[in-house]
Amino acid sequence: MRIGVFICHCGSNIGGTVDCARVAELSRAFPDVVYADDPMYTCAEPGQAAIEAAIHEHRLDGVVVASCTPRMHEPTFRRTVERAGLNRYMFEMANIREHVSWIGKDKEANTNKAAELVLMAVEKLRRNTPLTPKSFDITKKVLIIGGGVAGIQAALDCADGGVPVVLVEREATIGGKMAKLDKTFPTVDCSACILGPKMVDVAQHPNITLYAYAEVEDISGYVGNFSVKIRKKAAYVDWSKCTGCGACTEKCPARKTPDAFNELTGPTTAINIAFPQAIPKKAVINAAHCRQLSKGKCGVCAKVCPTGAIRYDMEDEIVTEEVGSIVAATGYDLMDWTVYSEYGGGKYPDVITSLQYERLLSASGPTGGHILRPSDGREPKSVVFIQCVGSRDKSVGRPYCSGFCCMYTAKQAVLTKDHIPDSQSWVFYMDIRAPGKMYDEFTRRAVEEYGTEYIRGRVSAIYPDGKGQYVVMGVDTLLGQPVEIKADLVVLAVGIEASKGASQLAEKLRISYDQYGFFMESHVKLKPVETNTAGVFLAGVCQGAKDIPASVAQGSAAAAKVLALFARDKLESDPQIAQVDMRRCVNCGKCIRCCPFGAIKEVEMRGEGKAQVIETVCQGCGLCTATCPQGAIQLSHATDNQILAEVNALCQC
Amino acid sequence: MSMIRFVTADGLPGFLAHLAKDGQRVLVPVEKPANKPSVVFEPWQEGKAFTLAKATVPPKEAVLPQCETLFSFKKAKDPADPARVSLQLEEAPPPPPTVVFACRPCDARGFAVLDRPYLHGPFADPCYKARREALTVITLTCASGCNTCFCHWVGGGPSSPEGSDVLMTAIEGGYVLQAITPRGEACLAASALPDGAEVFPRAEEARKAAWQSLEPAPDLKDAPQRLAALFTDTTFWQEQTDRCLSCGACTYFCPTCYCFNITDEGEGLSEKGGRRLRSWDNCMSSLFTREASGHNPRNAKALRMRNRVSHKFATYPENWGSFSCNGCGRCISNCPVCLDIRAIVLAALEKGADA
Amino acid sequence: MPVLEGKELRIVGFLCNWCSYGGADTAGVARAGQPTDLRIIRVPCSGRIDPLFIVKALLGGADGVLVSGCHPRDCHYAAGNFYARRRLEVLKQFLPVLGIDERRFEYTWVSASEGQRWQQVVTVFTERIHQLGRAPRFDDAEPLLKLADMALTSLRPLGTGQTAALDELKDAIRAKLPELDCVIGWQQGYDAAHTVPLFIRKPEDVDKLVWGPFNVNNPAVYLPSFKGKKVGIVVKGCDSRSVVELLQENLIRREDVTIFALPCEGTLDMARVNEKLGRYQRIDSVSLDEAGATIVADGTEHRFCMTEYAQGKCYGCTTPAAVLADTRLGTPTPVQPGTVVPPELALLDSMSLEERMAFWRGQMERCLRCYACRNACPMCVCRDFCISDSRNPHWMSQEDSPREKLFFQTIHAMHLAGRCTGCGECQRACPVGIPILALRQQIARAVAQLFDGYRPGLDPAAVPPLLGYEVEEKNIHERDWK
Repeated sequence: MRIGVFICHCGSNIGGTVDCARVAELSRAFPDVVYADDPMYTCAEPGQAAIEAAIHEHRLDGVVVASCTPRMHEPTFRRTVERAGLNRYMFEMANIREHVSWIGKDKEANTNKAAELVLMAVEKLRRNTPLTPKSFDITKKVLIIGGGVAGIQAALDCADGGVPVVLVEREATIGGKMAKLDKTFPTVDCSACILGPKMVDVAQHPNITLYAYAEVEDISGYVGNFSVKIRKKAAYVDWSKCTGCGACTEKCPARKTPDAFNELTGPTTAINIAFPQAIPKKAVINAAHCRQLSKGKCGVCAKVCPTGAIRYDMEDEIVTEEVGSIVAATGYDLMDWTVYSEYGGGKYPDVITSLQYERLLSASGPTGGHILRPSDGREPKSVVFIQCVGSRDKSVGRPYCSGFCCMYTAKQAVLTKDHIPDSQSWVFYMDIRAPGKMYDEFTRRAVEEYGTEYIRGRVSAIYPDGKGQYVVMGVDTLLGQPVEIKADLVVLAVGIEASKGASQLAEKLRISYDQYGFFMESHVKLKPVETNTAGVFLAGVCQGAKDIPASVAQGSAAAAKVLALFARDKLESDPQIAQVDMRRCVNCGKCIRCCPFGAIKEVEMRGEGKAQVIETVCQGCGLCTATCPQGAIQLSHATDNQILAEVNALCQC
Repeated sequence: MSMIRFVTADGLPGFLAHLAKDGQRVLVPVEKPANKPSVVFEPWQEGKAFTLAKATVPPKEAVLPQCETLFSFKKAKDPADPARVSLQLEEAPPPPPTVVFACRPCDARGFAVLDRPYLHGPFADPCYKARREALTVITLTCASGCNTCFCHWVGGGPSSPEGSDVLMTAIEGGYVLQAITPRGEACLAASALPDGAEVFPRAEEARKAAWQSLEPAPDLKDAPQRLAALFTDTTFWQEQTDRCLSCGACTYFCPTCYCFNITDEGEGLSEKGGRRLRSWDNCMSSLFTREASGHNPRNAKALRMRNRVSHKFATYPENWGSFSCNGCGRCISNCPVCLDIRAIVLAALEKGADA
Repeated sequence: MPVLEGKELRIVGFLCNWCSYGGADTAGVARAGQPTDLRIIRVPCSGRIDPLFIVKALLGGADGVLVSGCHPRDCHYAAGNFYARRRLEVLKQFLPVLGIDERRFEYTWVSASEGQRWQQVVTVFTERIHQLGRAPRFDDAEPLLKLADMALTSLRPLGTGQTAALDELKDAIRAKLPELDCVIGWQQGYDAAHTVPLFIRKPEDVDKLVWGPFNVNNPAVYLPSFKGKKVGIVVKGCDSRSVVELLQENLIRREDVTIFALPCEGTLDMARVNEKLGRYQRIDSVSLDEAGATIVADGTEHRFCMTEYAQGKCYGCTTPAAVLADTRLGTPTPVQPGTVVPPELALLDSMSLEERMAFWRGQMERCLRCYACRNACPMCVCRDFCISDSRNPHWMSQEDSPREKLFFQTIHAMHLAGRCTGCGECQRACPVGIPILALRQQIARAVAQLFDGYRPGLDPAAVPPLLGYEVEEKNIHERDWK
């Protein structure tokens, strides 16, 4: 071979702690290396042009670039060598920035290490073969998991773009957390008024198939051709007949059923429609509280239903959908704040979460939009808001900021004053984070126009004073003195956590998640919507804390990614897949047994069974290669010989 | 009469020390303790325990190592133009002068079998030649046969001198050493051992007794023709090789098998450099004849066994006038399934007689 | 390239592309300073890592090897790391038998977001390797030869099968023979003190069948070569486990194989028998009684009691009767509960790491690479395509160094992980008596410990442990990186 090596200075990023010229000089002694240089910025336009020129001038048939991580620029340089007429897979990278220059200061050691990494890359490249991608058909249909505002936005944008959408929502209605909100900051718009029409659009859009009260059971396949199993949970109501008239809910005798939509602020009936604007507006029976289903006697709803929609014998149903792309928009849940014993740990009825407070504020909530204390139904005159309950708190394993609590707390203080003009609100805060458009102005209004008292400090204890009020004890860290407030109601700005079951879903999607369960984007800056699994995109809080406009924006961004993907009629498969040497294969079937993708099948060849890789299904993990004892199945570009060459480049005593 | 010397049993280490002086490599049989003990030839050093038992592994390695470096190579690049690579070859160092001590007559005859193709054919193999010319063979005659050996079937015997420079025979109190070749004479002459002409008759008696102890040998003179006639009788060969496992025990433990493989290992540009290796190959393995295309003319073990037996008892005799089996019996005793080449040859003779 | 003298040690890392390589990138982006010793080899998935790469590195002069993949459940390829976890854990437990300190190899899980964790892993591991110092080199070890202690107590009375229903067995075979291409058994070899495999094709061949303590060969080794043909096989208990294992791996089909079984009372360790017989020309007589064999050779009488001269594997045998058979005659002797550490393994257990390395150095010197061990192994199914004599992949060179030879034994042992039934044919076949069975026994012990006492060759329907996984492994636990 004739290999060219380019040792990138990356300005001083690499050049600062690695003697790049020396590495280039050492590289010239490596096998098959006929040219080596140390450009300042290899990825920049002149740097890439220099590679192309060197390929022509020195008749190179393989290129090694030693620079940043291949996870960043491998595609860039593959295109570069391809432009110069090489096969794009006749290229290897040595990571001498993230793995060398940025983590060590010893220039001698760094230089030596960089040279060894280049040698390993050269040895690997010498065993590369030109590969050609295969193209395959795609199913132009998208699965969107989660019907919150991010998922709704993604679904509508995709559907408007002409792509059929399958929208799966775990709850009986779409709308997510936003549907529970009374108003939104900073405009104090009615949440239902701005979300409602979008929800209706989802229901009416000809391109959208909605599966509410359903969950994703299993996902197989790969970009362009996923096969998704969806579990439609038994609602015990035949939705094709249910008109959402509500007759059943009026007559249902099980009136102490917990109301999840209202955040348990009041009871509901066992057969229920979440809220008046629910989409779909269909009844669901809560089996645990239904007398017919739990005790076998009642049947009132079946009697009163004018369309005969009640089906007590209904079972979960699995449906399969074939899609080409998936958007995860599974949102978040509130953390379990009862770990805070200083706030009563859930003992006090008038210490509630901010989301519960939203339901009290909402006209569709249990109090009809009047702020009434859960304990005695009295209107509170003094309300204390405590921020960062489960945010920015390492002691409960939640070191991250939940992002939008500062703003909704200000909104709730404003709304409290609107509802009860003679009330007073206090806010205990750590820092006010109001970086969005008109956000800081809004918090100022809360203070300046609505008289909200902001106290910088944390609350150390809440206890009832025995006379119907709660004593909130804290410290004002700006004044450096203790504070004691008598409150009628305490509202906790509870921090967010990854949606329940997020990690299991990530496993089904084969995407990564961080230690808190939020899904990992492909690149934290430059690929915030993509994941490391091709064809799977992210929208909303499932990827990290963000407010409504950011969630909507990411929903649209995910839709753009889906539309871009589907703009092509065929996709190219990564040719770095396993290949069977038919002569070596003894058909022991070990590879077939452990392939996670079912990408290997048994075929007959001259009367003998042999393993064969299904090219478009193989994902290139190489598990089969490590499993085959004969070495008969080899993963292209991570063959035994290539890895052995890398090992041998390092270990030759 | 040839030169005769005598050495007492106690005097052997001294004799070995004499042989080993001037850096001569003296390969002696050494017992390797194990639950299945084995005897292998190793360079003798002062104080090293040795045995006079028949070795498990023949001393073939003295002339045809399991793996030898034919030459090594290093590549150097021109720093001004890395595309220019110069190649430097380094020949293997000349082999050390070597004595094989206390091998058996069958082993010594093995050297004679190897000599024919390696030295007496159209080309002499330089590596083999260098080793062979530096070799002195001191052979211990056998006092008896054993359950697997059959040297007298194939033209040898417990005191056959072929391939030996010195024959050594145990008598009471020591060993009589008889020079067979000028090299043997020189070897003995240089030693300080006393003359043994007086006790030589006792050695002759011992040799005669050994001959007499052997079971009568079948006549194998028809073996070449009979085996050649059976070449196409695949059923015969299949029946004979049912239990063969296609391993290399028979060939690698054979003093007369001489096939090899040549491979390059290592990179010319690495520190260690590259080596061109010659290593034993094994005709019982399917790889032996597998062609680059994947085609294999000897794809069944029966065909491979046919090759091995026919080579030893038909084609080699055709080319060189004698069997290339010395009857040492190691292929039988070391075979994991006790496959018996004697039985195959006898079956071939019998089958031929029937026909 | 040589290691920076005095500054660094040679540490090789295998990192999966999706999580740990990204985690190392994250650490770099965060400028999380780390020791410079580590060299990272990027692989698509931890499941791609053949444990033999690690052995190759460690035998080739690496002072430490670190593997890192995605956290369990978080594999980009769904399950690669689950498989890797099992294989790497088995490797970790295997290394000490070679004389390699298992602390020199570690595996862990680091996600792409865990830059800090990666920094800590590299720092802690590098410190550990520096504390251990430069790894002892196999080539530098001074050869050491030691003997296994064969004074063993068996879990059942050993005998010579005097009462075995051999005649009924012969009748059964005769009756079945017309439907079969061949029945594999044993017959007398070149003398009465040796038996060899018998291939019965004609009714008159049945008379050649013998049963007794000389039937050492495992006839199951021949079964895969009869694939697609109807074949009968006479088995001892241990042989039947190999048959089961072959069935489990789909290398033979149940409907093609007819299994005839007699209960086994033990077989003789022919290595020790031959040693005691010494050099002889003819066997005068062999007589068997309940307790052993009396062999008269060249007029000298030798006595071999089964309690003293059985094969090492027979003492701890718990399956004297076939685990699977179509025709089963006779009742096996009951087995006492208990375990017997196989003698070869007990020998290795008694040694220090340095001694073990020296031991293998001494043992492998006399290996001629005849591969009798491999070809006698019923589970070596690669046959003509063993990676030990392949150039592509090129795992082994033709060099005849003891290190390369030991590496082959490691390949064999690792390929047998979870598959080796301990039949011992590898060691019995070795013409120069290298106790290679110990390596397989250590693998088998590790597999049993890790996977709830799993023993290969008992259940044709079992999932071999290294071809499966549990999401939560009961006996494999994440190690601390503090």
